[in-house]
Amino acid sequence: MILMTDVNKRYGNKLAVKNLNLDIPAGELFAFLGPNGAGKTTTIKMMCGLLFPTTGTVRVGGFHFATQGDEARKLISYVPDQPFLYEKLTGREFLQFTADLYGMSSEDSRIRINDVIELFHLNEFVDTLTERYSHGMRQRTVFAAALLHNPKLLIADEPTVGLDPKSIRELKILLRQLANSGTTVFLSTHTLDIAEELADRVAVIHNGELIACDSVDGLKGKVQADGNLEDVFMKITEESDRKDQLAMGVMESAS
Amino acid sequence: MNTERDQAAIFRSLRYQLARNGVRSMLEAGRLRLFIMILTSLFVAVFVFALSAYGFMELFNYKIPVKGLIISGLFDLMFFTLGVMLLFSTGIILYASLFVSPEARFLLTTPARADRIFAMKFQDAILFSSWGFVVLGFPVLIAYGLTAGVPLFYYLLLPIFLFGFVLLPGSLSAIACLILMRYLPRNRKQVLIGFVALMFVAMGYWIYRTTSVSRSALLDSNRDALESFVGQFKLARTSLAPSHWMTSGLMEAARGESIHNVLLPIALLWSNGLFAFLLASWLAKRLYRTAYDRTSGYGGRQRASRGIWLDRAMGRLVFYLDRPTRVLVVKDFQTFRRDPSQWAILVIFALLMLLGVRNFNLFSNSDIQGIDRFIIGLVNLCGVSILLCAGLSRFIFPLISLEGRKFWILGLMPISRRQILIGKFAFAATGATLIGLVLVVGSEMLLGLPWEGIALHALTIVVVAIGLSGLNVGLGAYFPNFRETDPSKIVVGFSGTVNMVTGLGFVVLTILLMAVPLHIAAVLRHLNSTQFSEFPWWVYLGVPVGLLVGILATLIPLRAGTRALETVEF
Repeated sequence: MILMTDVNKRYGNKLAVKNLNLDIPAGELFAFLGPNGAGKTTTIKMMCGLLFPTTGTVRVGGFHFATQGDEARKLISYVPDQPFLYEKLTGREFLQFTADLYGMSSEDSRIRINDVIELFHLNEFVDTLTERYSHGMRQRTVFAAALLHNPKLLIADEPTVGLDPKSIRELKILLRQLANSGTTVFLSTHTLDIAEELADRVAVIHNGELIACDSVDGLKGKVQADGNLEDVFMKITEESDRKDQLAMGVMESAS
Repeated sequence: MNTERDQAAIFRSLRYQLARNGVRSMLEAGRLRLFIMILTSLFVAVFVFALSAYGFMELFNYKIPVKGLIISGLFDLMFFTLGVMLLFSTGIILYASLFVSPEARFLLTTPARADRIFAMKFQDAILFSSWGFVVLGFPVLIAYGLTAGVPLFYYLLLPIFLFGFVLLPGSLSAIACLILMRYLPRNRKQVLIGFVALMFVAMGYWIYRTTSVSRSALLDSNRDALESFVGQFKLARTSLAPSHWMTSGLMEAARGESIHNVLLPIALLWSNGLFAFLLASWLAKRLYRTAYDRTSGYGGRQRASRGIWLDRAMGRLVFYLDRPTRVLVVKDFQTFRRDPSQWAILVIFALLMLLGVRNFNLFSNSDIQGIDRFIIGLVNLCGVSILLCAGLSRFIFPLISLEGRKFWILGLMPISRRQILIGKFAFAATGATLIGLVLVVGSEMLLGLPWEGIALHALTIVVVAIGLSGLNVGLGAYFPNFRETDPSKIVVGFSGTVNMVTGLGFVVLTILLMAVPLHIAAVLRHLNSTQFSEFPWWVYLGVPVGLLVGILATLIPLRAGTRALETVEF
């Protein structure tokens, strides 16, 4: 579903993403981890067509973003860490607008809007203006809009922030169900226990480089850690830091 | 899946829903505010209408031989100036809504077409930047129609002319904005500053030329000198200038002789405007997504920002405040000086005023003596006051709104909300008083105005600066718009207009009370051909009343704003 080949992204003099290669099949729940400023958001933005790689290619569902971006975007839903809603629309109006943008027929959109309202328990507030919503209500509405058109790829950046424990539990079940039904779920998060609990595979990006990509058990085996994903993550990133410092030292002594 | 036409309908429906819900929630929030806003807009329109009607009637009553030339020259200049303003304001609003807003980020991840997103944001930008143009333009043109006794179809054609005119500058600035963001994302600030500097140099040269010619026109008072003066506006009067298409079309419609001569300018305006819009849409289809990518990629170099001596100087200037409030003032000053779009405008204002001072100097060395110094002095005072009014409305009024969703940071600090407002008031009043005093006293010393005049003008500008600061901070807190992140939209919105008009009313009243009596005395003495000695006592009669008006203009809005701010939840 997602194929990133030799992707580099440069911001001025800074290489934000270095030689990234990712191949994520349909129906996989993929967790993307990394410290702040590691390149997670840049990677996500390239994946949903907001940014273009400086070199390399990004394909979604077989569509090349540089030439077939409109087709690729029809397959995607993106839930950012700071969700956007039109303040002067009600939740229902926003859902209808999203359905229209994705070209759903009026009958389909009516059925799906009712489905997602029920799924995310929006009934109590869906007909009030979104300017009055709490962060959790906004997050649930954005998720409802993202799943309206049954996307082939769901990209979620920190999806659990602002949600109450019950909603987090329901979201986790839903994400797993989506993956089981064939939707690719790309999850960027700092909440490592969610990644550990849900993900088929986990990737770690550090200083723009993909430094690990495997199942949780596979990663534990590679770094010979017995603890949880948090221990594994710490060990992987510290090891990467040591390598970087070593490389810097070699370069300095050479010069 | 959607065709392009379907997406157009979807965005139309979105705009309709946003407008309908916006009006509903405004009515729910309180009809009084809506009523004040509409009343203020009407007040502006009626004021502009009355002023224009008076001017046109004077021209017609005195049977001035070249009045046609004067009116068409004024119209050319008005449309040219408004066109240039539209060029800048539409460009700035478009930049913010296409490349910075969360809405653009959301839409770009959906199947919405790039040119369709652009078209929607373009229409919004045009609406925002041109409503002032419509509010000001319609009354002037209706006043002209009524005083000149034009045929009915002149009025029917007005909307067609005005809406056709806003398309071209808006589209041109959209084209410039897209090309700049796509091909020069890294140097966009430098390019913009360079362009503004170039515009300033051109404008400065033009003002210098026009002043010299207007001086000889004033002294010679003959047709040739007047024609030479009107000739200074030839850039706005060339047959290639859209401003001239507007003027010629409207003048022909007013004459009502040849429909062909009316239709041709309309066709020129609309065809060129629509063609430029098509070109902009075509460019948006090809460039918008890559421009967004490049703009996000070159978001500015990361530099360590430290406090500089200016911050310490600002802190010392408000020594009379307690330390927490002083810290707030320095914070506002740092935010201000780190935003070049804010201080660049201020620098341009200051340079224009310096140019004005230089011209006053030119006048004072010429044959213009005595009473003319008083007239120029009063014009100078009015100019600086209006400049302060515009500057404070642009920078100070949106300050509270711009705290926006970050308001909780201030809200949780161990200082009262009253202190927050006092900090902003102190920041505004200190800056405005300093700028006002330097410009007024400096230029009037150059003019050689008597000390009574300089002292009275200095006191007036202090009252104006402090009163306007109170009004802007107070009304900014009374009409907060925490959801808007673009200050230009806050300023041109309804509440911004209420603030601007109230400020202008205050300026007029203060100058009438405190400064005008002195000038009336000077005129009376000039008419009686007596030499200047001491001014009569009644010259100072309005000063205490003006001071009282200044105190009220400061305290009432600040109290209302404090009360409103204290009830804000975050």
